[in-house]
Amino acid sequence: MSKEKRMFLEALRRKFKEAPEEKYTKFYIFGAWRQSKRKREFMEYSKKIAKQRNIPMYNPELHLGAPLGQRVLMAYRMSNTDIYCEADDLHFINNAAMQQMWHDIRRTVISGLDAAHTVLQKRLGKEVTPETVNGYLEILNHALPGGAVVQEHMAETNPELVKDCYVKVFTGDDELADEIDPRFLIDINKQFPADQAKQLKEVVGKRVYQVCRMPTATSMSCDGGTMARWAAMQISMSMIDAYKLMAGEAAVGEFAFAAKHAEVIEMGTLTPWRRARGPNEPGGIPLGYCADMCQASRVKPNDPVWVALEAISMGAVLYDQFWFGSYMSGGVGFTQYASCTYTDDILDDFCYYGADYVKKKHGGFGKKKPSWDLIKDVATEVSLYGLEQYEKYPACMEAHFGGSQRAACVAAGAGVAVSLATGNCTAGINGWYLSQLLHKEEMGRLGFYGYDQQDQCGSANSFSWRSDEGLPFNLRGVNYPNYALNVGHQSAHTGIVSAAHGGRGDAWTTNPLIKIAFADKNLVFDFTHPRLCFGKGALREFMPAGERTVIIPTH
Amino acid sequence: MPEYKPQYYPGSTLPSKNRRKYLDPEYKLQKLRTISDDDLVRIMGHRVPGEAYKSTHPPLEETGEPACPIREIVTPTPGAKAGDRIRYIQFTDSVYYAPVTPYVRAWMYHTRYRGVDVGVLSGRVPLEARERDLEKVAKELVETEIFDSARCGIRGATVHGHALRLDENGLMFDAYRRYLFNKKTGEVDYVKDQIGVPLDKPISVGKPIPETELRKRTSEFRIDGNAFRDDKELISWMQRIHMLRTIAGFDPEKVKGI
Repeated sequence: MSKEKRMFLEALRRKFKEAPEEKYTKFYIFGAWRQSKRKREFMEYSKKIAKQRNIPMYNPELHLGAPLGQRVLMAYRMSNTDIYCEADDLHFINNAAMQQMWHDIRRTVISGLDAAHTVLQKRLGKEVTPETVNGYLEILNHALPGGAVVQEHMAETNPELVKDCYVKVFTGDDELADEIDPRFLIDINKQFPADQAKQLKEVVGKRVYQVCRMPTATSMSCDGGTMARWAAMQISMSMIDAYKLMAGEAAVGEFAFAAKHAEVIEMGTLTPWRRARGPNEPGGIPLGYCADMCQASRVKPNDPVWVALEAISMGAVLYDQFWFGSYMSGGVGFTQYASCTYTDDILDDFCYYGADYVKKKHGGFGKKKPSWDLIKDVATEVSLYGLEQYEKYPACMEAHFGGSQRAACVAAGAGVAVSLATGNCTAGINGWYLSQLLHKEEMGRLGFYGYDQQDQCGSANSFSWRSDEGLPFNLRGVNYPNYALNVGHQSAHTGIVSAAHGGRGDAWTTNPLIKIAFADKNLVFDFTHPRLCFGKGALREFMPAGERTVIIPTH
Repeated sequence: MPEYKPQYYPGSTLPSKNRRKYLDPEYKLQKLRTISDDDLVRIMGHRVPGEAYKSTHPPLEETGEPACPIREIVTPTPGAKAGDRIRYIQFTDSVYYAPVTPYVRAWMYHTRYRGVDVGVLSGRVPLEARERDLEKVAKELVETEIFDSARCGIRGATVHGHALRLDENGLMFDAYRRYLFNKKTGEVDYVKDQIGVPLDKPISVGKPIPETELRKRTSEFRIDGNAFRDDKELISWMQRIHMLRTIAGFDPEKVKGI
């Protein structure tokens, strides 16, 4: 991308009547909330509901001082797509694709099969062959959604309600993979480009992992901690059925232990009491896991910037909108803190500028070892570029009307660029922090109190790995002490992890098992194109799982 | 030991020099307009002019202070002495050449005033203090060169506007329209108090400062004015702070001699 081109200009021209360079505009003439199709729709629903229940509801006229919409309520372009929507369409409550992304993550549990097979073979003297494994998987695909396999007179789940629930397996052993029924196999060779498949198979080796997807309906009704337990119960029952075991014999306990503890990989770890959530909740999902869940790297492995931007959109929705915006804060949430990173092509512009700069000045991606001079050079240049765009294009500044939005995007550009240059995301996050300090001095403002606090002390912990003070960057997340404070960081941090590994051609960033587990076409959410999928959600064109149509009155 | 001389701010460009000036309590802020005490009280909206200050505790001389070395060192402000409640004034400063930015405003409050509690966000700077102390501080904040009637706003809530383009009269957006441009007088009139309650009569806060003048007084870097990129001293200073924090976080021993 040349300096003269700006990726965000097209979106800015659609968002505002005036040219993006224009410094003056008009206010107070748009009819307040009535200018928004979506808010008019909300009002219509609200009137009907208030009449039905005799309790008043949504009423934008109650807004303190003046109803919102005194300025133009601008549209948002989903970056790298042609989709335009309203801000309301990006609230996760209004976007079924966002909800499904989170459900698809939460309802996933990976569980190794090797311990169970060892128990079967060495302790019970049972034969384990590809045929028995296929038989077991067929049984588990019956049992996992809520089918009984051992007990009599059991209440079971309606298959239509839980049709998104299934189990698949993967292995790094091509010979074994060839003998697994393809309906049950995540085929690494088919899902990944050849060089990525080679890396992944090497690290997985002969081990066999099952990927269990519990029903979205369960995810909506229970919590993340439910998932491994749900899977473990049905795994144990299916083992009894498949290998003709005594229900309750001591060995069965080993299957449960393996599925619940020894061989289970949950998407998120337990968070401390002050955050009050169990496993498989967003607070415990490391940045590197989120980056690995994103499957854009399989689609365009030679464009690590695009891959990072796709990962950033997932981080934005998962960490900023779900976790900080609702789990930790509640209320109306933090939609636009997050959406700034995946709308209007603004961050795309900053990141591609950084990538071009790295190619030009530092010989390409992953070509230089991390050094102070490099971090200083790349992070400073990309930060100044980003800040200057806001000043050259008042429409860009107005689009990112809050300082935290600008700070996230400018620092994301800087961090992603340093990651690309060095292939090292810890260097990348250090670049992010330099960007924040420069930004604060340049504009004389940054984000809000907590936003700034996190970044004022970030330099000091970016290279610290001591317990309670630091962690390798891939393993940090919203539960990392300095990152537990507020919104607007973890989206970009996901991209900083992604860019470091994508830039040097790695098949995964942190956990190859997570990367493979989400290379699955049966997932409801499309993890290869998250932004497009969120856009479909905004347009109401995304069909989620877990619908209750079959058990509720026709409506 | 040489006498400590505060330097306040690094940098060689005009915004840096202005920042140094505003942060230095020895520099007397230039008075540009007069707002009566009563009108300022009306704009802040905490009490009716002439009304007694509400208090949260009796005057300190009546309460009897416990033996405390800190209390012996720190002289109470008049508002604290009297037991005033704590109230606020909050400013929003436009990105389009407002005289001060949020951080400059906050640093300035700390170097110039006692007994103030300050916060900084991108679009607003709340200042809280005992009510009579607040009114004294607010007077200086509104009457001097650090305030512009078009590019600064006194806003208690719904502060949205610092990053928005300007309206046809050059005023910063305010969803509540607390202030209006008076075409007859060329001045900006407040018609609502800072929380948005309508005032009985408009209160003028003066004419907008011409942009040429604002550009001389501003502490903002902008690519169409004084580019941050040109202030090599300030950039290198920030890079050094970042480097020292980074290295110290990794291993404090490594910072020695840098």
